[in-house]
Amino acid sequence: MRRAHGGGTGTLPVAALLAVALLQALAATAPASAQSFLGFRALGVPIRALDARATAMGNLGIGLARVEISSTDPAASAGLLFPTFGVTMQPSWGSFDMEADSGTSRTNRLPLLGIGYPVRSLGGVVTASLSGHLEQRWVAKRNSTVVLNEVEVDVEDSYRNDGGTSVVRLGWAQRIGSRLSLGVSAGSYLGRVERVFDRELDSLAVGGEVYTFREQYAWNYSGFLAAAGFNLDPHPVIHVAGAAEWSGTLRELPRDDAPGEGNYAIPVRFSAGATGRLSPRLSLSVSGAYQDWAASDGFLAGVTSGRKWSYGAGAELHLIDGDSRSLPVRFGYRRLAPPFRFESEDPVESIWSLGAGLNLVETENNRLGWLDLAFERGSRSSAPLNERYWRGTVTVGISRR
Amino acid sequence: MVPRARAPGHVSGNPMTRRTPTTARATQRLAAPVHRRSRCSRGPVLVHGLLLAAAGGCSEALPTVQRGDLVRSGFATEVILEYGEFASGARVYGGYGRPSDLGAGFVAHDFGSRGGGGDGAQVGLEASSLLRFGRYPRSAQVLDTTGANVPDTVLTFLDGQLVMRFDTLSSVHNDRPVEIVAHALTEPWDGTTATWEYAIDSVGHRERWSVPGGGAVEEIGSATWDPETGDSIRIRVDSAWIAAWADTTDYSRGIRVSTSTPDVRLRVIAGVLRIDTRPSVNPDTIVKVPSSTENRTFIYAPVPRPPLKTLRVGGVPAWRTVMDLDVPSVLNGPDELCDVVGCPIEITADHVSYAALRFTTRPGVRSFAPSDTLPLDLRSVLAPDFLPKSPLGPSRSGPFGTLVPGEWFHPPAGEIVELAVTGLVRDLLRGETVDGDPVSNTIAVLSALEPLSVEYVSFDGPTSPAAPTLRIVLNFSLEDGT
Repeated sequence: MRRAHGGGTGTLPVAALLAVALLQALAATAPASAQSFLGFRALGVPIRALDARATAMGNLGIGLARVEISSTDPAASAGLLFPTFGVTMQPSWGSFDMEADSGTSRTNRLPLLGIGYPVRSLGGVVTASLSGHLEQRWVAKRNSTVVLNEVEVDVEDSYRNDGGTSVVRLGWAQRIGSRLSLGVSAGSYLGRVERVFDRELDSLAVGGEVYTFREQYAWNYSGFLAAAGFNLDPHPVIHVAGAAEWSGTLRELPRDDAPGEGNYAIPVRFSAGATGRLSPRLSLSVSGAYQDWAASDGFLAGVTSGRKWSYGAGAELHLIDGDSRSLPVRFGYRRLAPPFRFESEDPVESIWSLGAGLNLVETENNRLGWLDLAFERGSRSSAPLNERYWRGTVTVGISRR
Repeated sequence: MVPRARAPGHVSGNPMTRRTPTTARATQRLAAPVHRRSRCSRGPVLVHGLLLAAAGGCSEALPTVQRGDLVRSGFATEVILEYGEFASGARVYGGYGRPSDLGAGFVAHDFGSRGGGGDGAQVGLEASSLLRFGRYPRSAQVLDTTGANVPDTVLTFLDGQLVMRFDTLSSVHNDRPVEIVAHALTEPWDGTTATWEYAIDSVGHRERWSVPGGGAVEEIGSATWDPETGDSIRIRVDSAWIAAWADTTDYSRGIRVSTSTPDVRLRVIAGVLRIDTRPSVNPDTIVKVPSSTENRTFIYAPVPRPPLKTLRVGGVPAWRTVMDLDVPSVLNGPDELCDVVGCPIEITADHVSYAALRFTTRPGVRSFAPSDTLPLDLRSVLAPDFLPKSPLGPSRSGPFGTLVPGEWFHPPAGEIVELAVTGLVRDLLRGETVDGDPVSNTIAVLSALEPLSVEYVSFDGPTSPAAPTLRIVLNFSLEDGT
């Protein structure tokens, strides 16, 4: 058993193989991204740091039973028996329309990397994660004309925003008794955004050897946040959880000669969820989150959304449920409240999801090696912007005894 | 790819290079790792593949929208700097290259003495091509009496034909037939340094022609070139001249090709001597064999004097215009710039989208006025202290230069010629090239191929009201956008 799941194949240990795969994946993938025009005057659109199981079940990252790695549920990892590593990848294909304009986008992202390490002497688990937070990746263009040397010259302006914030967290999850777990975490914002303004003149009209005017600035993000939460199993078939996350000011610091500095207040986020086991093979999950961005400081007037609530629900059915392996299928729905408007309408994001898992090795309450897949069809709207996307999520996790 | 479990003892790979185990022990050693691959052990390999597929499965494409309110505002304007604001020390250097670099060059007679325009008195251009043929062929492939193609090394040279070909586009002939005359030279001359005045004009050795323009000559023959009927003429050369020119130690041998038709200037593309030869293997046949050409040059008069107040480019030997640039990095105008971005405004290399030196054409001496498009080039002078022999940097006008129509230099002229110097101005504002190399602020304007023609072009100089200017297109981004 050990060789099959933790030892390795041939001469390469599994951990080494996964590390190689992760490095290759990181090298081949751009930073986590949410390609959206939402929040173009603020900090962009949120990255949901969820693994494929939570994604497929329409969960908001809280209250899901049998969770190994989570960045949003501080107490979730308390039940880990062995050191566990999980990585989630997320390719997506989007389209949008904005009045007469429309277009498409493609991206890859790594929304969540997480590690849990049980400390048996203390009865708790150390957790660490790197997850996406807010991102702004889009390009806008404008065509116009200027008169130079009595000649009307075509001009194309291009403005590219590329970057966002991530969060690195370190936490502790403690099991208290057989039903209650508590968890805390502290983290720091990371990341940068780069804004590039290109102005290109028609070389034929100007006279030749025309260089593109480029102004390129970058800002780094920094700040701290902390979270606390609990997991409770009041009954063998019921699991509930709750968490609160407090964030200090998110600072946008100019690099080199970039102008301006931003200080953004990130509101407290409260979240709660529950999972009910309806049969040995079927369970239902609901979750909700509250975050009031309306009064946040640092943003332009009218940018933040008045919507405060996000919620989601879903189900998981184990088609095959063996002693040490299982094959669950999942589906769910989420309705989210992105924090920033496009113009004046509060945005709404709704997602239908479907997924499956392959639990390669599991004990009664712990998965030791798994592969989860999720497929989503989502839409965001904040008039006049409408965005739609297909998104896949792959999570791979492994524990080492 | 997920490796498949194989039967014990199975060995994959090239059977020619992989040794098949023959003993039970060897079989066991090879088979053991295969046995260890249980179904679950393939999981990490599968994961590895899925991760890579997910990572590389789709490439990045940012959503792009045509929408002005999402784009930062920009401002473009044009600044014209007067000569004194960006340059100094404009001067003209001559003497680059020599007529022999152009081959047979030109033939002209009293060209440009009529008609207005130009700098000073109009003196007609006289020009002649000088050709010296080399050793005659020692053998030729001929048909013998049996019809076989055989080499013949016993050739009897008879008479010959001088074939001259002209450039029908750049030649100026007023659309009328031109009389071409061939003379035999009788005085020793140097095929590289001969000029209108001197038969030999090399370092430390000068010998004048007895008569300017080729010395004492003897007429060989003449022909009339009608541009409407073709681009070439033939002049018969009798056997006495063919025999005389066989002596390759005689440095006076050669042909002068000129014209007696006034007010024409023809560009000679080629001059070839074809010799009628009687082969020994078939004496009843006449074979034409071409003679090699040892020297090909042209001589002309008058030689243009250096300009006093104008700028000049082209000609042969060629002229170059040189000037020193000092592009200001702080601007206090024009008003439309200051109104938007405020003045004084410091400009950097990034602000310069386009820059061009602007020269105003002048009608030059008609005898040397261009009759065809002239490609101009602009290069950095890498060692200004060593002018006029400083090396030049790479072309800033591309391999074909900036093409300027010849008509722009005909009266009344006054056209603006722009030579793009965007990269140079950006380098000067940056203080170095993009590669970090030093940048010279001295530039030379020259013809893209040098020498290119006897024709040269003139521009208004720095003291003229139409002195060179520098046109700069500047771009700025404004803060009132997103």
